This record gives sequence, C-alpha cells and structure tokens, in this order.
Amino acid sequence: MVVLAASILSKSGKVLVSRQFVEMTRIRIEGLLAAFPKLLGTGKQHTYFETENVRYVYQPIEALYLVLVTNKQSNILEDLETLRLLSKLVPEYSVSLDEEGIGKTAFELIFAFDEVICLGHKENVTVAQVKQYCEMESHEEKLHKLVLQSKINETKDVMKRKASEIEKSKIDKNRGDKGGFMSMGSGRIETSLSEISIPSSGSGFGSGSGFGGLINEVDSFPTKSKGRQPSSATAPPKGSGMQLGKSQKTNQFLESLKAEGELIVEDAKPKAGQAKAATALLTDPITLTAEEKLNVTLKRDGGMSNFDVQGTLSLQILNQEDGLIQVQIETGGNPGILFKTHPNMNKELFSNENILGLKDPNRPFPTGPAGDAAGVGLLKWRMQSADESMVPLSINCWPSVSGNETYVSIEYEASAMFDLQNVVISIPLPALREAPSIRQIDGEWRFDSRNSILEWSIVLIDNSNRSGSMEFVVPPADSSVFFPISVRFTATSTYSDLKVVNIIPLRGGAPPKFSQRTNLVTENYQVM
Amino acid sequence: MEKSCTLLIHFDKGTPAIANEIKEALEGNDVPAKIDAMKKAIMLLLNGETLPQLFITIVRYVLPSEDHTVQKLLLLYLEIIEKTDTKGRVLPEMILICQNLRNNLQHPNEYIRGVTLRFLCRLNETEIIEPLIPSVLQNLEDRHPFIRRNAILAVMSIYKLPQGEQLLVDAPEMIEKVLLSEQDASAKRNAFLMLFTCAQDRAVSYLLTHVDRVSEWGELLQMVVLELIRKVCRTNRAEKGKYIKIIISLLNAPSTAVIYECAGTLVSLSSAPTAIRAAANTYCQLLLSQSDNNVKLIVLDRLNELKSSHRDIMVDLIMDVLRALSSPNLDIRRKTLDIVLELITPLNINEVVLMLKKEVMKTQSGELEKNGEYRQMLIQAIHSCAIKFPEVASTVVHLLMDFLGDSNVASAIDVVVFVREIIETNPKLRVSIITRLLDTFYQIRAARVCSCALWIIGEYCLSLSEVESGIATIKQCLGELPFYSVSEEGEATDASKKTPQANSITVSSRRPAVLADGTYATQSAASETAFSAPTVVQGSLVSGNIRSLLLTGDFFLGAVVACTLTKLVLRLQEVQPSKVEVNKATTQALLIFVSMLQLGQSPVLPHPIDNDSNDRIVLCIRLLCDTGDGIRTIWLQSCRQSFVKMLSEKQLRETEELKAKAQVSHAQPDDLIDFYHLKSRKGMSQLELEDEVQDDLKRATGEFVNDNDDANKLNRILQLTGFSDPVYAEAYVSVHHYDIVLDITVINRTKETLQNLCLELATMGDLKLVERPQNYTLAPESSKQIKANIKVSSTETGVIFGNIVYETSNVLERTVVVLNDIHIDIMDYISPAVCTDAAFRTMWAEFEWENKVAVNTVIQDEKEFLNHIIKSTNMKCLTPVSALDDECGFLAANLYAKSVFGEDALVNLSVEKQADGKLSGYIRIRSKTQGIALSLGDKITLKQKGGG
Repeated sequence: MVVLAASILSKSGKVLVSRQFVEMTRIRIEGLLAAFPKLLGTGKQHTYFETENVRYVYQPIEALYLVLVTNKQSNILEDLETLRLLSKLVPEYSVSLDEEGIGKTAFELIFAFDEVICLGHKENVTVAQVKQYCEMESHEEKLHKLVLQSKINETKDVMKRKASEIEKSKIDKNRGDKGGFMSMGSGRIETSLSEISIPSSGSGFGSGSGFGGLINEVDSFPTKSKGRQPSSATAPPKGSGMQLGKSQKTNQFLESLKAEGELIVEDAKPKAGQAKAATALLTDPITLTAEEKLNVTLKRDGGMSNFDVQGTLSLQILNQEDGLIQVQIETGGNPGILFKTHPNMNKELFSNENILGLKDPNRPFPTGPAGDAAGVGLLKWRMQSADESMVPLSINCWPSVSGNETYVSIEYEASAMFDLQNVVISIPLPALREAPSIRQIDGEWRFDSRNSILEWSIVLIDNSNRSGSMEFVVPPADSSVFFPISVRFTATSTYSDLKVVNIIPLRGGAPPKFSQRTNLVTENYQVM
Repeated sequence: MEKSCTLLIHFDKGTPAIANEIKEALEGNDVPAKIDAMKKAIMLLLNGETLPQLFITIVRYVLPSEDHTVQKLLLLYLEIIEKTDTKGRVLPEMILICQNLRNNLQHPNEYIRGVTLRFLCRLNETEIIEPLIPSVLQNLEDRHPFIRRNAILAVMSIYKLPQGEQLLVDAPEMIEKVLLSEQDASAKRNAFLMLFTCAQDRAVSYLLTHVDRVSEWGELLQMVVLELIRKVCRTNRAEKGKYIKIIISLLNAPSTAVIYECAGTLVSLSSAPTAIRAAANTYCQLLLSQSDNNVKLIVLDRLNELKSSHRDIMVDLIMDVLRALSSPNLDIRRKTLDIVLELITPLNINEVVLMLKKEVMKTQSGELEKNGEYRQMLIQAIHSCAIKFPEVASTVVHLLMDFLGDSNVASAIDVVVFVREIIETNPKLRVSIITRLLDTFYQIRAARVCSCALWIIGEYCLSLSEVESGIATIKQCLGELPFYSVSEEGEATDASKKTPQANSITVSSRRPAVLADGTYATQSAASETAFSAPTVVQGSLVSGNIRSLLLTGDFFLGAVVACTLTKLVLRLQEVQPSKVEVNKATTQALLIFVSMLQLGQSPVLPHPIDNDSNDRIVLCIRLLCDTGDGIRTIWLQSCRQSFVKMLSEKQLRETEELKAKAQVSHAQPDDLIDFYHLKSRKGMSQLELEDEVQDDLKRATGEFVNDNDDANKLNRILQLTGFSDPVYAEAYVSVHHYDIVLDITVINRTKETLQNLCLELATMGDLKLVERPQNYTLAPESSKQIKANIKVSSTETGVIFGNIVYETSNVLERTVVVLNDIHIDIMDYISPAVCTDAAFRTMWAEFEWENKVAVNTVIQDEKEFLNHIIKSTNMKCLTPVSALDDECGFLAANLYAKSVFGEDALVNLSVEKQADGKLSGYIRIRSKTQGIALSLGDKITLKQKGGG
C-alpha cells in the first residue's frame, strides 16, 4: 500500500514535476517515468497499467498526465482515491494546465502533494484542508506576534520612563552628597541603559556582566513599583532590588528580550534570605528591629510537618553618644515563646522588668551603620508549634488530568493573624516551551521558563482577600511535578508581638528619638 | 549506496540562473525575490550543480527569514543537498542548520512545525537529528492533530535509522501511550504504523486488546491493521486463528478499499475453501458495485489469480463473474470471458452458454459502438465452449448462424469458421447445419464469409436433395445470367461510378502484406479483404449477394463459386441416378463459369479478372467437361482430409500448449512437499511467502536486483584498455531495466601515484550519463572500483566511449588513455513475446519504419537459417512449426518481440533456395520507432552470415 511517486508529465512524456515518497534513486524514478509514455496505450477505457514491478495509475488533465507510481500490491481503490484528490488539487494551484503553468507552480504542487501523501501512505484530507495546510495561516502565530509586539511596546515605554528617571538620579548624584558606592552603581546604570535604549539591537545584556548590571540597574529604581521618591536611589543597592525583580513589567521586558533571541541568564528567583533586608532607611539615631523568620513545611495533602519561628531583636545606633541606653520592651505574653538574651545582657533586669541593658552599665552599645546592617542582637526567641492554626498561609494545590491536559487549581487561605505583603507562591511546572494558560487568577502571575516555575504574586493579603485561587492548564504531567511549592511573604506584625516601649538613657535627659520596626519574613516556607 | 532522489522538477535550460544572481537575491530583503532565488537554487541542484558556496549564504540570510514559503523551500533545499562527505560522515557545517530546525520545531506556527517534522522523516543523518529529538517529542503532545501526525512519523523514521533505537530508547512505549489517547484518525494510523514497523508485538497486543472495536476504526487504520495481520501471519502461521475473525468483521466495512484489502489478506492467510469463497465473493461484489474500469480490471486480475490457485472454488462463482459482462468496456468483457472460459465444467456449461447467448442477443438490439467487436468476442467464447463440450454446439450453432449476415465482417467470419469446425467435428449436426446454411446463405454480405460458406456447401452437401438445393441456392444468389449485357450498360456505369471510389481506396491502401502462412505477398485478394475495407454488399439483396460482389470485381469469389459448383456437380454425378439431370446441372454450371469469365473481360469493371482466378475458373470448366477418377478424389476427398488434418493439428497444438503449461507447474524432484494435513496449506513454501510483500516494494523501488550467478557475470567483462597501458581498466556491464551500470575496475600499473584520475565517459544513441565523474587518486599498483550509471530511454543500440585522464607528479600535462568502446546491445532490451496473427498484421500495416535486409548467408538450409536468426535476435517465431515443416525450397516466417519499454519489433523472413543451393530473400523489420528498426537491422546484418 505504498505510493512511490506522484508525478506530472506532459503529453510528450516530459517529466514536469515528480515527488517521491519512498527512497529511490534518481536513475530509477527517471527510468520509470521515461517508460510511462511508451507504455501508455491509446484508446483504452481504463487508466492504469502494470509493468513487471510497478503499477502506473494515471489521469489525463488537459495537456498533462498526472501519474501515480505504486507497487503492484497497492490497493487500487485507495490509489484511485488519492489520484482523484490530486487531480482536484492540480488545477487549484496551477492556473494554466500546460507545461509552462506547471513549471511555474512546481513547488506549490510539491507542497500540496506532500500534504496528501505521507511516506507513501494516503492521508485523510480534503482539498480545502490541503489548501489550509499550505497557506499556513496560523492563529497561534498571529497571537504570538501580537503579544510580542505589545511586549516590545511596553518595554519601550518602560525604557523611556527609566531614561527620565536616570536623568533625575544623575542630577541627584551630581549634587555630590552620595558615597563612592553609589557612583559606581550609577556608572553601571548608565552603561546598561545606553544599551537597552536600543532594544532591537538585541545585544542589551551581554550575559557576562549583564546580571550584575541588571541587578544594579533594577535596584536603582525601587520607586517604579512602590511609588517611592527618586531619592531612594541612595539606598544600598542590596535593598529592595529583588522585589522589583519580581515585578511584572520587568518580567515582560525579559520575556520580550528573550523572544528577540537574546540569551538571558534569568535567575529571577531570589533567595529568601535576601528578602530580609530592611526596606526603610535608617535615618533615626536609634533603630530597633524585631524580625521573625518563619520556617514552615506543610504537607501537600494538609497537615504540617514543621513549624518554626525564630525571632531577633536588634539595635542599631548611629551615634556614639547615644550608646548608653537601656531598652524597655513589652511582649505579647505568648507562653510558647522562649526568650534568650545576649550573653552581655543583664538577665535579671530583663526577667524582672523587661528591660534590656548591658551587664556593665558603663559600656555603651556598639554603634554605627558600618557594622552589621542589622545592628546588634539583643534578644532571640524561638517558637515551635504543632498547632496548625498558627500557619499564616496554607496552600491547597489540586492537579487533575483531563484528556491530554492537566488542570491545576491552587488556592490559598491566610489566617486572620497577619496581613501578608508581597506574597509570592512559586509552583514548579513540567518543562514547557510556552507559558501555561492561566484560566483564572486572583493576583498576578509570571512564568519563569528557564526554571519552569510559575509565580503567583499577591501584593497584599488582608481581610478583603483572606483566600484566593488560581487555575491553569498545562500539558499532561504527573501531579508530583507541581511540588514543592514555595512561598515568600512579609508581614509587619510578629508572633511574639514584641514592642519597644521605651528607651531609657542611662545618663539621664530626654529619651532619644528611636524608631522601631517589626518584620515577619519567610525563610523557608514550603508545601512539600 | 546511491543517493535517493526525492523530487524532480523540469528545468528549462534556456534560462540558466547564475549562482551569483541567486546569491544576491538571497542576501536581499525582498521576500518574493528570495523565494524565487531559492527555487532557482533548488532547480540547479536538481540539475546536477553542486553550488557549495551557496550554503553559507543560505545559512546566513535564509535561515532567519520569517516567511513561511521561504522556510518550506529551505527544507526542500536541505532535503536535496549533499549532507555527508564521500566517506559518509556528516559535513561539519550541517550543524549550523540544527538550531534553525530546532526553532522551527518550536515555531508558534503549527504548520511550520508540521512541515519541519515531515522533513525530519526524510533525514538520515543521526548527527543532525540527535539534538532535535526533545523538540520532536514535545510535538507529540501538541494540540493540533496535524502536528501530532507528523511528529509520530518523525519518531518512526528516527527510530528506524541505524542507531535509532539508541536515540529514542522508549519510542515504542511513548507511541503506544499516544496511540491510546489519540483521537485523530490519521495520527492514530501513523502511531499504529510506527508500532507495526518498530515494535510489532506492541502493535499486536494493542490490536488484540481492541479487537471488538476494530470495525469502528477509521479506514486508514483498518488498512494498516490488515497489513499487520498479513505480516504477523507470515512469520507465525499458528497465530492466524486470532485474526481471521477480525478480517471477517472487516469484510463488512463501509470502505471499499478496506474490503478489497480484506479479501487479499484472506487469500494470503488461508486456503480454506470458506475463506477463499468469501474472498472471491467479495471480489465479485466489488466487480459489480464499482463503476471504475480500473478497479474492475484489477479485481478481475485478482479473480484470475484465484482461478489459477483455487479453480474448484471459483467454478461455483462462474455466474457471478459473468455478470461483469454488463460493463460496456471491452477490456473488462474480454478479461471476464477469459476467466470464465477456463472455469467451464460440464455442470455449468449450459448456464454459461445460455448467458452468452443472451448477451449475443443483446448485441443485436442495442446499437452500441463496440457491439460488433463484443459480438465477435462472444462468438469466439461460444466457439471455444463448443469445442470443449461438443454437446452444446447444437444449441448454439443455429443461433450463431443468424449472424452470418452480420455487417461486422470479423464476427461473421468467426461464425462461419465456427460452423465449419462444428460441421466437421459434429457429424450429427451436419444435416441441420447445411439446411440452415442454405436457407440463410442469401443474407451473407462479406466476400470472405461467402467464400467460406461456399466451401462448406461444396464439402458437406452429400445427399441428393442437399446437392440440388445447394446448386439452386448458388444459382439464385448469382441471379440471372449473363452478369453483364449491353442493355445493362447504362445501369452498370451508374454502378461503376460508385465502385471506383471504393476501389481507389483499396488500391491506394494496397501494399506488400504478410499472409497468414508467413508468405510475403505484394498483391492478394484474400489479404486485401482482410485489411482494407472489407467488401460488403451494399443496398438491397434483390439481385443476389454473390452477383453484387462479383460486379464489384471480386473474382477470387468467382473462382470459389466455380470450385464449389464443380464439387457439387461432381457429387451430383455420384448421387443422381438420372444422367439427364446431371448433364443439365453441368451445363448450367459451365454457363455460369463462362459468364464470369466474360464479365472478367468486360470493360465495365475497374480492373479485369486476375490471372489466378481466371486459371481456376478455366480449370473448373475443363474438369466438368472431362472428369477422371484421380481428379475426382482430389476434389471430393482430399480437400476435406486436409481440413481434418488442419483441425487435428490445431487441437494437437492446443493440447501441447496445455501440456507445456502443466509442465511448468509440476514440482521439481527435490521440491518440498507440503502435506495438506500437516501444514494446512499448499502452494508456495514458507520462505517464498515471507518475502513476497517486502520484495514487491523493493522491486518497485529498484532496490531489489536479482543477481545472476557470478559465472555469468564473468562472461560479460569487457576489457577497456591494453595490458601494457599505464592504467588498466575493465568493465562489467550490467543492464537493468532502464539503466546500465558499468562496474569499472581501474588498476594503476605504474610505480607512480596517479593524481586526478578521472574516467570520462560519453555516449552515443539514446543513452544519458546520470552523474558527473569524480576524480580519484590512485596509489602505485593499486586498484579502484568505479561505478557509472547510464540511463536508457529507448530500445536502441548505443555506444559508450571514453577516456581515462590522469596526472602524475613529474609530468605536468594530463595523460589520456582512450578506452575501448562499449556497445550496448539491443538484445538486452527485447524479449520474445507472442501476439495474435491478426494483431501482428495490423501492427505490420500501421508501423512506419521498415528496414529491409537482403539475405546473405553461408547457411544452406532455410530452417537452419530461421533458427539462426531467431537465436541471434532473441525473438519468437509466430509461424507454427508445422507450417515450416516440409522441404519446399522456400520459407516464410514472422518473428515478434517486445522491448522493456513496451515497443514492438516485427520481423518477417522470406527466403528461397536458389538453384545453386544458396539462400536468397529478404528480412524485413518493422517498428514504430526508427531506433528498433535500425538497431535490429544492424544486428541481423551482423549476425546473419552465421554458420562459418
């Protein structure tokens, strides 16, 4: 059941077009076709003949012969069907049915023949389908191009804005009150900006230094997403950079760059630790930071295998003269929390009066931003629990296979204890070429195709959206692929509910001004 | 292994595109120009140019193009370029296209993905394919069936590559999974096909788990299922029980293609009568239900095969097969009749003849174009029935005799020949046939029929009443005497006004003709009636048919009439007691003879009586006037005897042919014997069966070359250069159907390295060199095998000549060694064939080219000379041996052969032994094309000397 070749010959026996569907040598096919006109009888009422080895089934079309060369055991009924289809196709592609006309459209005919016969086997197609296949009008491609175009446009907008911001920051910089570090940073910005300003050149981010450049560059514009003042350019670059990395616009930018054929080392998945960095600026002479890190492992089918909160209270003093102080705190009285003071602290004072002071009252607290950015640790606490109600955010993921697609629906539920900020839920996906189709989502999403992770981000979870869901579709995959889901978020209240009530200067005088920050961050929050 | 060729496009050499122009257009941004340039580049490549410099241009400027047509053309380009070096390694630059292919496999446009996958099916280089595999696999899960279809095929072809199993270890599992979830019919078929070719056991298990649903599957899939069943059962016959059920269920499939395939599968699986019957029934149904002539003819071929292998079963279906006669196509009818005639048994003969008779009647009523020919066919069929089963003759002969007066001369002749044979072989019917013949004689219109009928009357009117009525009938048909009188002159001139036209045609078309016995005649009444417009009585029959024929100048008929009357009168003398009556009849006959002679000399007719007829009539007159016993026996008995002898010889020949046929199918002494009870099938042995299908395809693609034994091969070695030449070359020439392969061994006989050694070949005649020769370097005293392909496009003697050119390090100039010419023999292309006498004559009359070769030989014996010519030209002698038997000093024979291109070669040999013992005469060759006539003539001139 094999068609060896489909050919068009002129009446005089010249081979105009021939497409072979099985491997055969040129000499063989030419020989077969050369024999055709000689074997062609006249005045017969049937249109096939056989030689020792092959069968020719043909059909005269005006001044041409359309010939199928098949093996002798080929199914004549099927071959005739094929021949009929081909004979309908030829006039579709060739306006004039003569040597010249066929010569002009030879390639189109070959393409059409290819659609009808595949490796010698007949395909079940109609003339209309063949035409459609040959026209290659693809909705998907249009869509793809449209998306690409819009991304490019968007990127251009971003570019303009950034350019103007950089202008501003340059002016700021020129005022000359910034450290050397900054100047180095902005230097980088300039170079990278000058590169991105011509995105079509496609060479914007050389992968060698591109990463660093990119981060610095993004770091410099935290305002973009958070609406802060351009003055923030003075912030240490390490600050909120990664936050911005997560933002939608940048992703699109990267996407479009990728689409333009740029190789981008995209490592947009920040480590949890980096998120701990303070968001605000240390402008007050005394800053007290209470931070809790959350290590939670949830089971995918409910339940909790690990829940661990580690908190620190740290003190940062800008000026030496403010060093001689004591800190009075107030805790929420949570019995599950065990506090431990720094060995240099006066334990009795703390256990009796909740005041943190050094054992030696004449020694000042160490000072300066030059030290550990987090300041001096005064107090540590730890809480472990098996109580599921303590979990701030529970994730429920339901992959289900239907047909040749997998539907995954995910929902989160946040406890009323906290208002969570910058929630990012990262779901690993099977290797995909394009983004999964998102059916429904509360919040925003982006797809990191390199690591094939889908990130679902919700800027703020408060009483208005204690629960939310997302649904997306991917090609069939095992459900285990979608785990572990990791979650990042921050919150401004803590489990310990620790508050600084007062700062007591040991030398007397008015209590100095201080600022207090409370922060809950995730260190390792996973649904296994 | 020779490169395969995937497409051919006619390339007009008038507009050669220059590589530079193409390059420029490719580098530009104008898409239509790019497309155009790509097309040109592909055409140049197909035409044998290599264009190596274009590759990089294409990689740089065409690969990134977004235009779909450009991409598709690019794939075609990649398909035809040389991807490996001479040692079969993939060229390093090919890696450049990998990235593009990969992008295409992930292209948002599904059609680009599809065509790229399809392209991969044609790719053989693992190095290129390997990096693409993940992308191919991704496409297996695409949502477009179009992609999945092609992806599956791509997986299949990758898996089929030599290292394919390593590249895609789990391909069968994957495809099996796909098959389970696939919905699209085509994709499903492809998936099944993949399992079928790559993991047969999986395909089988899939089939067996879904047995119940096979009948619901798509047509395409069902076809593959049948193919699978055939293959499985060939290798493992014990399994077939499982599948018969599937086939039976598919016999009711809606698609006729599937039904047809089912029947074929059934036949190949089983020889059980039920299975064969079911298959035959299916074929018969298709025969009736399909309106397409091609289908009918091929189905008839299948039935014919069944007939030869399972005659007993087919006998029962004879009436079903006969129904195919309802088709108006003559080829179909002929094939049907051929099959039916061999299935006739005493049991069904009556039914068959009844049906044939009905068909004959039908031809009388309808006025269809081909009715005459069809009737002739039917009459011939009935004729052969009657010979096999003489008892039916009585029922048909009278019916057929109605057609003696048929306006279709050929069928009328068939009838009269039939009657002639029946009357001899069936003595019981003689009386009734004669009576009937005498009754209907006046209806006969054609001269040839007339003369044959007259012979019958002359021979078989035995009783007094028959003889008398015979004479009376002839007289009646001759009309009133004289044929021509002065008073009729006016009338006759009127008539003659018409006749000259008719005759002028006859005269102009008269040319040398070959008689049935092989004699080469320049003029013959008999032959003329056979080829040119047959002489048929026009208009009314009032004046008698013989008379009208005579008046048109047919004196040969006149001679026949004279002979018949003479015979009748001679017989009358034996049976009529009354002398008066006899004398009366004699005088009347004499009067008729004289009138005919008179007519022959009259000026009204366009030409006077010819000498032969004149002599014959005069002889008859003499005979009636003076009869002797010797002559009487000759006239009354010898004629009949020789006729009987002719009939018996014909029968003998037929039985001999049958015997010869039977001989062929006899088993060899050392053949395997299949015991029916042990093996449940007969006929072909296991080995033969297994390869049947595979070979069919291989033969078709030309992959399958039947190598003759090597001893034969050595006989055909040609020495091309001398032994003392610096380069010795010899060639083995093998001629396949349409191509000649030269296997040339080149040996360096010197102590130096020969560089740039090139075998330059050129051809004369209808031969074409397929590829350009390559350069080689030949180390001292080493040898090299070079292959050259030459394409042949018609049967003609050709010459291949050439040089070997090379350089050595110390001589700057190129040295040339001239090769011996290689003559390609026409004999390799023609093979003995058989055609009917009539066909031979028609072709002889039609063909335009004649080559006349005078006989010039040392052979003294005519017979020996004929055999020599037959042997040296590889032709078949059509003239029966019996006709060549006796020593009479001259010999005429027709030879026939067919070329592989389907051309006919006709040869007529007429020789006469001269007084001095030498042979003289001519050999005439006729063919449609000049090539054969010339080449064959040359061959004969060369060979005819013979003997010495």
